[in-house]
Amino acid sequence: MRLELGNILIKDIQFGKGTKIVDGVLYVNKEELTNLLLEDENIVDVSIEMARPGESIRITPVKDVIEPRVKVEGPGSIFPGVLSKVETVGTGRTHVLKGAAVVTTGKIVAFQEGIVDMTGPGADYTPFSKLNNVVISCDVKEGLKQHEHEKTLRMVGLKSSKYLGEVGRNVEPDEVNTYETLPLIKSIEKYPELPKVAYVQMLQSQGLMHDTYIYGVDAKKTLSTLINPTEIMDGAIISGNCVSACDKNTTYHHLNNPVIHDLFEKHGKEINFVGMIITNENVYLADKERSSNWTAKLAEYLGVDGVIISQEGFGNPDTDLIMNCKKIEEKGIDTVIITDEYAGRDGGSQSLADADPKADAVVTGGNANEVIKLPPMNKIIGDISVVDKIAGGFDGSLEDDGSIVVEIQAITGATNELGFNELTAKGF
Amino acid sequence: MKKIITNNILVNNKYSKYYEVEYFDIDYIEVLKKVRDCIHMGHKLLSHPLSGSVKPNETPYKSVIISKEKEELDINSLMVIEESIQTADKFINKIGRVNFKDKVDEDFQIVDLSLIDGCFK
Repeated sequence: MRLELGNILIKDIQFGKGTKIVDGVLYVNKEELTNLLLEDENIVDVSIEMARPGESIRITPVKDVIEPRVKVEGPGSIFPGVLSKVETVGTGRTHVLKGAAVVTTGKIVAFQEGIVDMTGPGADYTPFSKLNNVVISCDVKEGLKQHEHEKTLRMVGLKSSKYLGEVGRNVEPDEVNTYETLPLIKSIEKYPELPKVAYVQMLQSQGLMHDTYIYGVDAKKTLSTLINPTEIMDGAIISGNCVSACDKNTTYHHLNNPVIHDLFEKHGKEINFVGMIITNENVYLADKERSSNWTAKLAEYLGVDGVIISQEGFGNPDTDLIMNCKKIEEKGIDTVIITDEYAGRDGGSQSLADADPKADAVVTGGNANEVIKLPPMNKIIGDISVVDKIAGGFDGSLEDDGSIVVEIQAITGATNELGFNELTAKGF
Repeated sequence: MKKIITNNILVNNKYSKYYEVEYFDIDYIEVLKKVRDCIHMGHKLLSHPLSGSVKPNETPYKSVIISKEKEELDINSLMVIEESIQTADKFINKIGRVNFKDKVDEDFQIVDLSLIDGCFK
């Protein structure tokens, strides 16, 4: 399965009469996009604003971040099973509006999460401060239940991103990168001298605001399975996860999964990247056992020497992580796990809720309990009043001058467990 | 058969018709301790005590599913509940409880209920 990703570099975003790309500037027709979103009868009002790198803007509460993409060659369309038919994606060519993103914001429940600062010290903790963001806030009709509200906002993000991505269809990309996964036997034959490596991606799948979808299927109802990395680049996995801002994977993270990109980078040089397994993180303990059994079984079936496992979220997924690690190690396969830590504000407490001696190679995304003071911004998009109800915030977080004191877990993507951030710990 | 230990009235209202539900008006960590006591009596842990990414110092509500039947002490269940109590203690007592206001309470109940719903679908 071979996919060309054509990056169209977006340097700026502006409102304009027509939605188009001219000389690296993405122009957005506000009215057209607003009308598209208002087609959903659950939505009563839409507000669209721009947030560019370096501007004194705070966006909160952030729900999802999505990169606009369009499929220009090959079967299927972007976000299969959700916005288009359940066609297998991941081959042909896809254009990416690199440097642009759609950010959705809105209150689903009274407690909140997710801050993106476009400048200042908070900006260093989130990758999304470096993007030209089209920020969409929606008011929904009175009495809409939480589940419906979450779905409505999720679809707003995906639809907007598809709408914007479409203007890249006939634009010549600034750069084209090719990613290819061969059939397993051919892949093994091609680099027989290199260690065979697979990637196990764990997906949050627990309930309201803790869900992930694969080709439109709720991940909690799936068994661990094989997927081609390029399918994910075409939007086969989307996020419905709006709890735990710092270590959830937004749809943007899935589309740009850095573990996949790094494995492709090393493929054929240091390692032989032969495939990928996705697995869920359910609440029920028997589900955890079943899913980790399948993960280990598939890793063994692939015949790999090593596996990289990335976690999503906090708490009970630590148990899934350790089960996956232990059972794969017991098959004689080396593992490296990627996680983050809740080690207390002083960093002195136990980092994970589970552990095992076999988990002896760990990459961390940082300590989510670390406290940071975020200075006031000139403009707030969303609702600042929620900050003292934000995960990682506390009563009194919001100071009179508009500055806020929060744990970095309040910042979207701060301790991301795919490593899509700057924080880590190194041994010397 | 399953049994639910909870301090969430929504879980009690929805599931007490079909399952044995023990509802207590107690704190999050006290729910975990009740579960630990049951495990010592031979019940088996069926759902993870730290379900959900809402942290133990943020939500007051917790529901845990255990087996209705009692057998020999299940060491695995005991390990998981003890580690969960330790983690919850870290959040609640070392980091500190977050006091949310307004109608947050009901929303936390709904999220906790949804985590349990996921186990019965």
